[in-house]
Amino acid sequence: MTARYSCKRGILVGGTCELALTLAGLLIRRDITPVLTYRNERGLRTIQETLAPPEDRYETRRLDFSDRNSLATLFDPDDPSFDFMVDFVQGDYEALLAAADDAAVASFFAENISFRAALLKRMARSMLRSRRGRLVYISSAAAENPAFGQGFYAASKLASEALYRTIGLEMGEKGLTTVILRPGYCDAGRGRSFLEKSGDSLKRIPIGRALMAQEIAEAVLFLLSDGAVGINGTVITMDGGLASGKGAMR
Amino acid sequence: MDVLNKVREIITEIMDVDGGTITEETCLIRDLGAESIDLLELAVAVSHRFGVLVQDDEIFLRKFPLYRLEATQAGVDPLPYLTERIPFLPPNRIAEILAERDRAAALKIGDLVRYVRYQQGEHV
Repeated sequence: MTARYSCKRGILVGGTCELALTLAGLLIRRDITPVLTYRNERGLRTIQETLAPPEDRYETRRLDFSDRNSLATLFDPDDPSFDFMVDFVQGDYEALLAAADDAAVASFFAENISFRAALLKRMARSMLRSRRGRLVYISSAAAENPAFGQGFYAASKLASEALYRTIGLEMGEKGLTTVILRPGYCDAGRGRSFLEKSGDSLKRIPIGRALMAQEIAEAVLFLLSDGAVGINGTVITMDGGLASGKGAMR
Repeated sequence: MDVLNKVREIITEIMDVDGGTITEETCLIRDLGAESIDLLELAVAVSHRFGVLVQDDEIFLRKFPLYRLEATQAGVDPLPYLTERIPFLPPNRIAEILAERDRAAALKIGDLVRYVRYQQGEHV
């Protein structure tokens, strides 16, 4: 069976990461236009170098979670609203809670939670115009099972998940739905560098390997399909089965 | 299309109501049963259709109780105090709301129309 897609154009927030770029490729192949966000010129170049021409099959926008002004330019009232948003953005701050820097914690939460709430508010209002919108948040299996030092990361992921769940709850009757995907160990981005340092982690995953970026992108693609709308305001864990047991080494 | 007709059109699109019964005197919450999610959608639609900036707290008079309290605490006459802070409503309308027991439910379609006109540059 082939999934149906009525969406035509959507935004990939944090569009420079490997997962977003992989998803963008899948969308373009289905004639769905991804709008990828980048924080700086280097990010823009990454998008341009990764996605094959012609460039008119995708769009780019600058969005920086540490710059409130960048939100204003994302929503041109004359532009049609986005049909969907996939949110890949996640800042990095690792510290033991009892050793953390107060100012760093405050700015980490401001960027990863408060800014996200502001983005969601504007996105929901924009999508409300067309009474249609699908919002997918890429969380992490670490939200539920953080490692040492990942407490702030997990806190921001759980808070962000709650924001997305809220939109699904409050706006479902107006055509806006949300879903949260929690990937586990992934052979892409920060996950790849982690796995390079601690390859033994893979032995605890029932499927015996890390997930590939392609697999996660394909799961997100399904979540954007018309048939997945009923998966609303909820969390899906995609971790190869890691969280199903005690995580003992095989 | 004038402002009232356009507002009426928006409301009938958002809520399951008969547009023919909507006048400037119709109460959005008391008569039409608008809920918070409807008001949110209404604010978005009004902003988009009229091309005006809509502040939800302003258009739905949410700060009315706060201003009323401020006037009491300052020991001043609430009518001029509120008239100054809610510039899109005429004093007689503010006096009418002050006399209401349930002010939150007193919001009328005419209040929305006045807000839009004010934002379009037509002053009271």
